[in-house]
Amino acid sequence: MRKKAKRDLTIEQQLAGGPIDLPFLALVMLLTAVGLIMVLSASYASAMYDLDPAVNTGGDPLYYFKRQFGFAVLGVFAMFVISKIDYQHFRWMSVFVLGASVVLMLLVFVPYFGRSGGGALRWVKIGPIRFQPSEIAKVGVIMFFAAGLSKRTGQVGLDRRWSKRTLTGRMAARLDRVGLLELIPYGIVLVVVLGVIAMQHHMSAMVLIVVAAASVLFASGVPLGWFAMGGALVSGVLVWIITQTSYMTARIKIWQDPFSDPRGDGFQPIQSKIAIGSGGLLGTGLGNSRQKYLFLPEEHNDYIFAIVCEEMGMVGACVIMALFALLIIRGYWLALHARDRFGTLLIVGITSLTAFQTFFNIGVVTGVLPPTGISLPFFSYGGTALAIQLAEMGMVLSVSRQIAAPKAE
Amino acid sequence: MQDQTRKPRRSDGKNNRSLFRRTIFLMAVLGVGMFLPLIAQLYQLQIVEQEDWEKRAANQQTKSVSVAANRGTIYDREGRAMAMSATVYKLVLSPMGLYGSVDKEKYKNAEGSEDTTAYEQALYNLRKTVVDGIVDLFGYDEERLWKRVERIESGYEVLYFELEEEDAEKARTFISENKLSAALQLTPSSKRYYPFSSIGSHILGYMSQNKNSGDNKVGAQGIEALYEDLLSGELGRVVTSKNGWGMEMPSGYDMYFDAQDGYDITLTLDERIQAMLEQSLAEGIATYDIQNGAFGLAIDPQTGAVLAMASTPDFDPNHYDQIINEDLQRELDAVAEEKGKDSEEYSTALSAARNKQWRNRTVSDLYEPGSVFKPITVSMGLEEGIISLDDHYYCGGVKTVGGWPIGCHKRTGHGDQTLTEAVMNSCNVALMDIGAKIGAETFWSYLEDYGLTETTGIDLNGEENSYLWDEDTFKSIYGESSLATGSFGQTFKVTPIQMITAFAAVINGGHLLQPYLVQSATDQEGNTVFYHETQEVRQVISESTSEKVRGILEQVVGTPKGSGHNASMNGYRIGGKTGTSEKRDEDTGDVICSFMGFAPVDDPQVLVLLCYDSPKRSGPKSNYIASGTYISGGNIAAPMAGKLIAGILDYMGVERQYSSDELSGVDTMMPRVIGQELTVAKGALQNQGFECRTVGTGNIVTHQVPAAGAYIPGGSEVVLYLGEETPPEQVEVPDLSGLSPTAAKVKLESQGLFMRASGVVDYTDPNVVMTTQTVGAGTMVSPGTVVEVWFVSNIEYGDQGRLGF
Repeated sequence: MRKKAKRDLTIEQQLAGGPIDLPFLALVMLLTAVGLIMVLSASYASAMYDLDPAVNTGGDPLYYFKRQFGFAVLGVFAMFVISKIDYQHFRWMSVFVLGASVVLMLLVFVPYFGRSGGGALRWVKIGPIRFQPSEIAKVGVIMFFAAGLSKRTGQVGLDRRWSKRTLTGRMAARLDRVGLLELIPYGIVLVVVLGVIAMQHHMSAMVLIVVAAASVLFASGVPLGWFAMGGALVSGVLVWIITQTSYMTARIKIWQDPFSDPRGDGFQPIQSKIAIGSGGLLGTGLGNSRQKYLFLPEEHNDYIFAIVCEEMGMVGACVIMALFALLIIRGYWLALHARDRFGTLLIVGITSLTAFQTFFNIGVVTGVLPPTGISLPFFSYGGTALAIQLAEMGMVLSVSRQIAAPKAE
Repeated sequence: MQDQTRKPRRSDGKNNRSLFRRTIFLMAVLGVGMFLPLIAQLYQLQIVEQEDWEKRAANQQTKSVSVAANRGTIYDREGRAMAMSATVYKLVLSPMGLYGSVDKEKYKNAEGSEDTTAYEQALYNLRKTVVDGIVDLFGYDEERLWKRVERIESGYEVLYFELEEEDAEKARTFISENKLSAALQLTPSSKRYYPFSSIGSHILGYMSQNKNSGDNKVGAQGIEALYEDLLSGELGRVVTSKNGWGMEMPSGYDMYFDAQDGYDITLTLDERIQAMLEQSLAEGIATYDIQNGAFGLAIDPQTGAVLAMASTPDFDPNHYDQIINEDLQRELDAVAEEKGKDSEEYSTALSAARNKQWRNRTVSDLYEPGSVFKPITVSMGLEEGIISLDDHYYCGGVKTVGGWPIGCHKRTGHGDQTLTEAVMNSCNVALMDIGAKIGAETFWSYLEDYGLTETTGIDLNGEENSYLWDEDTFKSIYGESSLATGSFGQTFKVTPIQMITAFAAVINGGHLLQPYLVQSATDQEGNTVFYHETQEVRQVISESTSEKVRGILEQVVGTPKGSGHNASMNGYRIGGKTGTSEKRDEDTGDVICSFMGFAPVDDPQVLVLLCYDSPKRSGPKSNYIASGTYISGGNIAAPMAGKLIAGILDYMGVERQYSSDELSGVDTMMPRVIGQELTVAKGALQNQGFECRTVGTGNIVTHQVPAAGAYIPGGSEVVLYLGEETPPEQVEVPDLSGLSPTAAKVKLESQGLFMRASGVVDYTDPNVVMTTQTVGAGTMVSPGTVVEVWFVSNIEYGDQGRLGF
């Protein structure tokens, strides 16, 4: 089909055909490339020794890299395709994405599709593709929240007419005025999604969805009081969980002093710190990690950043963190310049999700935060996660197309 | 529409400002702020704590195989190797490796599933090969080996620690023939050899494993322990990288650190002198029925160098945990008999016996020196000018001190005596008088000066310090009796090494020297890295006082009436002092008989202390041992010491100087008289100082005993054969026990044998009797053989201190 001339396009189509943001694209591609190299380096040993009983690498040291590379190509392709979509369509898509993710997450519990990993049912296998539906749920929630909250006027309580004669009417009006009423649908969605994820015992996914959703809510202008209350509530629950459940108490104890159980639960944190610490300022050189040789578990997944620190030293680690920081800052910059509130909130959600994921992962690996299983965007091994990550970046790029070019001087 | 859009539009501005501000806020927090704690943590781990983590990384990522350093050799002063190392091999079994070398994958049956039976059979066969092989080669306990082979979680089971090269070669062949290198390994290590077995065992010490040394043996006692660092050198290492499963990795990460061999140590000890000393102890113990063993020392009084140091029971450092003393073994056997070898009593007794034989009594045990201490008291008085050689002392047999009668060993008293006579008699009363003259203050300060209040600092572990009176009490009026008994060496305890060190100062011109054992240390290139210079602690008395005391002590040995006369030896001027000290902390009534002697008197080369602990009395109140020797230092320790001193001086090449009296008995060459006329022959023999008797009739000497050119003691009666008579082929050596020198000489010469008399050779004193003969009675020897015979004077007085009657 021949490409339509520009004049034949609608305004929307013209806007959607604008140039994507090159700095953001460059950062994404750079991180993806560096991430692939690190997967190659980090997974080399465990692929060679065929360490993971769930995976048969056949002793091929490049096994993980090859798969990751394939998904990266797929993901980059998906990113460009998605960036071509006029992001206004994401408004209606959000409902379906969210709905589909919930269905998929429930599919986890269906024997034929469900796959367990790490002791919990979190995976779904459809055809050759094996993935965590909670990854999709994150995008779904962000899209749904952005779509809904973009219509928010900021003048709550004025649009609807509540009967002032009935008690319920007056109560409703009052709740509406303080901004509770408008939060209810989002609350319901969040509770449903979190409930399903809770059934998978997937704490880290819940945390990420909560913080991503909160970022969108925050940016959309929801009164700060609610965040204060929400924050207080979450902190209270966290404190209760930490102090009252032996499982979490033990985790916190290990976090504070991994050497209290150096052969058991403390093993991974210690090995991670050994990898990081022995890297020093300049590192042992790319590919020269020694900790990846069967010392550090999950060295190509959640703990890949430890190998980065070991091989590239503090300098290399800081450069990579700088790339992440630039990506995040550029993301928010795009959000600020987006054509409309939906675009802004969508990017805020996606960027915040990426930022939190980065922070949580590096925080856990370096021991700043107690251990949780959160992967590092672009780096951790996991093909579908990388593809979904890149697809999210495609959404950001899609929004970036419609940013008006700066006026010439 | 108009109405609806207008209002929001107005608020859009405010709303968008909020969106803008909040997004900027998120950008700042998530894009910048969030990274700050992460960077701070990286700084902490990678820069601040980097070394610590790197060390941990190196610890787990590398495998360090140590390369043994050769342990230095310990030489005696003449360069005889007393402790040396040789390479041996450790045979290590890896049950894990053995288990792993049978590949499960290979044992699949037709369907492709695992054939458990075949696999297990293969594993069993391989294990059986190993077990049978080891049992055949080295006789390892089969049942025990099976147990060890099946510990599959273990990769390191040492089967043998010290396989000699010959056995190691057998093991090597076995391993390669059966391709067992994954299961059995030979690693070189070193083994310590002590060529002289038990000689000097307490000084050398031994090597054993302790809880820190792992498989390696380290010095556990003596020089081996004290100079462990010097001797052991530094282990070398080969560092290779390994992965998380402990497997070696084929990377160029290997590092080599060369081993540094240990230093060689040269002792002041002389193996020959040490052997003589140990022989003296053993002989004395056997001859005089000694119950609690003996200990002794020989030092160079001019330098403080310890020439020999021994105590019984001792051990063989090659097999340090075996009991080699017969008495100890007998006691152990008794326990084993009664309680069984598995009993707790037996293991307690065994460890007690071991500790007993490992104990160096000369530095670790205290004893009351007794009369041997008297010269020290005399030296104090002479140095202070309080007494002089011209003083006279009266002994009535008892002196009352502080209301208590303290007796002399001679209850009837020694009567009037000069200072020299008082020491010769070992008179307690005289010494108490001298002690009282010196006074507690001065006495105490001399104790300090003689180093008796502190350890000597000899280079051995486990040195004990003396046990003295409380200083303040001693110096107060309540110390009067302590001073009295102290002045003749009782009621306090010192170590033998303290005693000999102080005594050395008395006779060497007053120099208190630090005793020492290690003369020098050299590295493997032969460079001397340490050399011991004589360490003078202080000058205690003047040279002239020292000379006076030496003179007195020469009289103690030299004059027939002297209590130490049994130590006298022809040709040597020996000085010394006897001691018979009560063991007052025991109620056994046992004594320690000791003798401290030195020679030559004018220039002491060697100072010897011999102590025999508890000679067995023939009856409850008897003062004699069963064989009739009166129990005293002069009768038991002095003869042994005299012989020892003479032996040491002979060995050291100190020439004997005979007095004219002694000269007549000096060995003389027998001239050839065969074929000569009897009168001519007699004349020739008379010129040489020989007597002669003839056998047969005739005028021409046909045979002579001894043969021409033989050296026999002057004054001996040689035998000349005349006519047809010939000397017998062999003669029997007669039993000389209990004979006087004259009787012994006659008895020997009647057989055509000659006597070389040693010890107290006094042909007029009826108390002098033979103790030992070098050729045993009943032995068949050629005529003309010289039999060495020892005599002692059995002196009917001791030198004990008696506290009260």
